[in-house]
Amino acid sequence: MIRTVAWFCDSHYGLFNPDGESFTRPSPAGRSDELLSIIGRPVKYFSRMTLETRACLAAASLALRTLPAEVVAGNEIGVVSAGHDGCVSADQNYFHDYVSTGRTMGRGNLFIYTLPTSTLGEVAIGLSLSGPTMYTHADRNPLAELVRTAEGLLADGEAGAVLAIWTDLQASVCMTISAGTGGASESLPEVLPLELAGFFRAKAQPA
Amino acid sequence: MSNLHTPVIASSDVLTAYGAGQDALWAGLMSGRTAIHTSERFADRGFISDQVAEVPDLSVLPGESRSIAMLRRSVASLVGKIDPATPIILATTVGEIEFVERSVLDESPDLLTQARPQVLLNRVKQMLGLTGPGTVLSSACASSTAALTRAAAIVRRGEAPAVLVVCCDAVSEFVYSGFSTLLSLCESPASPFDTTRNGLTLGEAAAWAMITRDNAAPAIAPAILGWGNTTDGVHMTAPDRNAGGLSRAIAKALAMSGKIATEVDVIAAHGTATVYSDAMEMIAFRRMLGEPRPTFSIKGGIGHTLAAAGLVQILVTAEALRKRVVPPTVGLHIPDPNAAGWVFGVPVDLRRGKLALSTNSGFGGVNTAIILSHRGDA
Repeated sequence: MIRTVAWFCDSHYGLFNPDGESFTRPSPAGRSDELLSIIGRPVKYFSRMTLETRACLAAASLALRTLPAEVVAGNEIGVVSAGHDGCVSADQNYFHDYVSTGRTMGRGNLFIYTLPTSTLGEVAIGLSLSGPTMYTHADRNPLAELVRTAEGLLADGEAGAVLAIWTDLQASVCMTISAGTGGASESLPEVLPLELAGFFRAKAQPA
Repeated sequence: MSNLHTPVIASSDVLTAYGAGQDALWAGLMSGRTAIHTSERFADRGFISDQVAEVPDLSVLPGESRSIAMLRRSVASLVGKIDPATPIILATTVGEIEFVERSVLDESPDLLTQARPQVLLNRVKQMLGLTGPGTVLSSACASSTAALTRAAAIVRRGEAPAVLVVCCDAVSEFVYSGFSTLLSLCESPASPFDTTRNGLTLGEAAAWAMITRDNAAPAIAPAILGWGNTTDGVHMTAPDRNAGGLSRAIAKALAMSGKIATEVDVIAAHGTATVYSDAMEMIAFRRMLGEPRPTFSIKGGIGHTLAAAGLVQILVTAEALRKRVVPPTVGLHIPDPNAAGWVFGVPVDLRRGKLALSTNSGFGGVNTAIILSHRGDA
């Protein structure tokens, strides 16, 4: 079940944790030092990451800290994501760079973000996670299916907990999925601040 | 957990640089002849290689992508023969990336929406007349293997009687330039596990597999007994030199299957022919399986087909178990000392063809392992 929800977008970031601290704060407007302070640990190559990847990492780190120590210790934490755009924006950035330099060579640092799971790889590296990582976007109720996929990984013993991330150019929302009772409502938009809930409800519809 | 079903690959087909169908793929690999060739396609680009493994005689209509052209040919045999409600999982890394290329080259940003992976999924569903749920799954070069594990999990838990897995990735200027930039390409056809290996060759493929319960499939349909998906969490493009992630994936797959390492008869390796990835795999195999057993890579024959690589090699593995012969690792001449006794440049007869391990790894540190069982003459 969904235990907690963290999010990061241009205007604000926050955490909903029914068993602990919940808050909403203004976003640091892309400043690396403040973003890193939210993440709470040093992250290699942070400055080369796309803005979407940094936002995703921030939301994931907030969410991960809400998992009980006994869940994190000795368990593999998976990371799954969905989002209508996949990584089309990163694809465009890389190819534009490649074309602008004469179509012989692009920047490797841009190319490595051209997979839908590139961001998840950075989350796994940055937060030392070792469970399954996959982008899985359903054409019907993609948000609900994302949660179902995460729950399936738990049920099959593939992970002790899962970070389920909705990626978008404007916001990253990270849910912690683990076994047990309590936690956030399964009706995700109901537990989010009103502004983000509306955005998220709209984004979670089929394309 | 006692009400679990056994998922099997009830039917399948494949399109590779050897041509259409599994027979062509098997014959090509067994011949020891590579389908990798010198291409003029990117001749004026100054890339570090001109080697490629393209699907021959592919008819690409004006305005469409190579991926959809390959998929149309690959799934043709399924049209009209599949329950429209069947769930589908589409595995791809870059999908119809040509639309990104054209949007930049033609300065037509409107084309970008066509590059969304969900658009390709919709095209495939329309092609097959599917009206049930569809999902795009991507996990770098382990995409189709990860998709198989999701499909197998759905069937195993009884959530659906059947799931169709479709995979595809095409050779494109986008991907070729990227791998060239990363210095990952070999100047000659890839030679997995060889002492002289120094990079991969890009290929393209499309494939599909229908995953059903064992009692709804032919007796010879191979069973997916277990799987493991892990992440290194070490580096974005380089493998974990200690093979920790792949080792854990193999351990998880064996544990789920209820089998032990000594029961594995053959290994289908990812075998990209890059120096560190092949070395990492051998560390994992030696650690987790101990004694050598016949191991092969198909990438010297058909190149690295990215998202399709996993499913294609699993279909070859199923054939190897059925025929009790392991295909040669095409391009292998002198095995790396760490792989000697495991990989061969010639076909190897199997004394027992019951159980196989197939593994894939990819960017972002993803690893996937599957335990495949031959049921035919059990």
